[in-house]
Amino acid sequence: MLLLTSLVEDSLDDGYARAAARRAAGEPPSRYGPVLLLAGLVAVGLLLATAAVQTRERADTVAEARDALTAEIEDRSAANDRVERQLDRERARAARERRQQLRATDEGATVERRLTRLETVTGAGAVSGPGFVLRLDDAPADPSGADVDPRTDQSDEGRVSDRDLQTLVNEVWASGAEAVAINGQRLTALSAIRSAGEAVLVDFRPLSPPYEVTAVGPDDMRATFVDGFGGSYLAVLRDYGIDYAVTDEDELLLPASAGVTVRYAVSPRRLPQDPDESSDSEQNRESTP
Amino acid sequence: MIALLGLVLGVVAGLFLEPTVPTWMQPYLPIAVVAALDAVFGGLRALLDGIFDDRVFVVSFVANVLVAALIVYLGDQLGVGAQLSTGVVVVLGIRIFSNAASIRRHLFSA
Repeated sequence: MLLLTSLVEDSLDDGYARAAARRAAGEPPSRYGPVLLLAGLVAVGLLLATAAVQTRERADTVAEARDALTAEIEDRSAANDRVERQLDRERARAARERRQQLRATDEGATVERRLTRLETVTGAGAVSGPGFVLRLDDAPADPSGADVDPRTDQSDEGRVSDRDLQTLVNEVWASGAEAVAINGQRLTALSAIRSAGEAVLVDFRPLSPPYEVTAVGPDDMRATFVDGFGGSYLAVLRDYGIDYAVTDEDELLLPASAGVTVRYAVSPRRLPQDPDESSDSEQNRESTP
Repeated sequence: MIALLGLVLGVVAGLFLEPTVPTWMQPYLPIAVVAALDAVFGGLRALLDGIFDDRVFVVSFVANVLVAALIVYLGDQLGVGAQLSTGVVVVLGIRIFSNAASIRRHLFSA
């Protein structure tokens, strides 16, 4: 308190009082006084003007830099999209040509059939079939304003999170789904559902709500899912205001995954057995007591 | 009269010459401005109190700016530059306010 009081009360430099006392005592005023004063005030003015100019310039450069960065981000993502589309086209062309080449020989035809089967299972190829669509949407903004993030007008509780989607997708797989996609992003064994900030990412691509989980599987898949843990999880989500709908579809088309790439895993140089044969023989072994 | 002339001259010079501030000095510019304002308001109050002194004004201005910059520099070296800047601004701000209040009492007797 003492510090604050002295700060407020002795706001004037002591020097002024002392100089006045010296003058009262008869000391002649400094000869350089006016020059000194002029120089001091020029310095003050220079400082203020420089600071003003500097601030304005810096604001300009900051705004320019931000605009330039924004433009660059937009340019690059447009270029990315272009390259991605081209990649998709090239992939489709390569797949078509590979198919044609393989079909030319008997051996090739066998390989092609196996390739198609593997692509279907792994998610590297598009699939179609019956199944269901699960639609999820974030809770609408709470008009009462409770728990609402003022910046986004969205309540944190009512937002579909990456964990919700992870759990639900796991349940969909567990219910017998053979192929699953979220908002047109095919899930593979290597897919990751994660979040960055408020966005949910599938394979590092951001999704925007509403979320659509499409699954191809057997007829009883939907019943298994809704009656099982998936259904109760959805009921809990509904308590938070997250709306959902599950609809049966006779014919769903799930796209191929954008990239099924393994970087470290290679197929062994000498296959122990043909995978089909080995699975057959395993079944045989199990069935024979 | 000389004072006003000097101030105007300085501002005009600053606006027209647009001196480039070296990068290492830029963080101290805002603090220097606040310190300079403190000296100016102190001088103005002393003038109205009838005890203005040229030498005291110039010395207090230079010393204010230097000490404020030094404190912030020290803070930067210690990693608490932002906090010390805030401290300097608060202290000088309080002084500016109370000097301004005194000036106001002189001018409007209120």
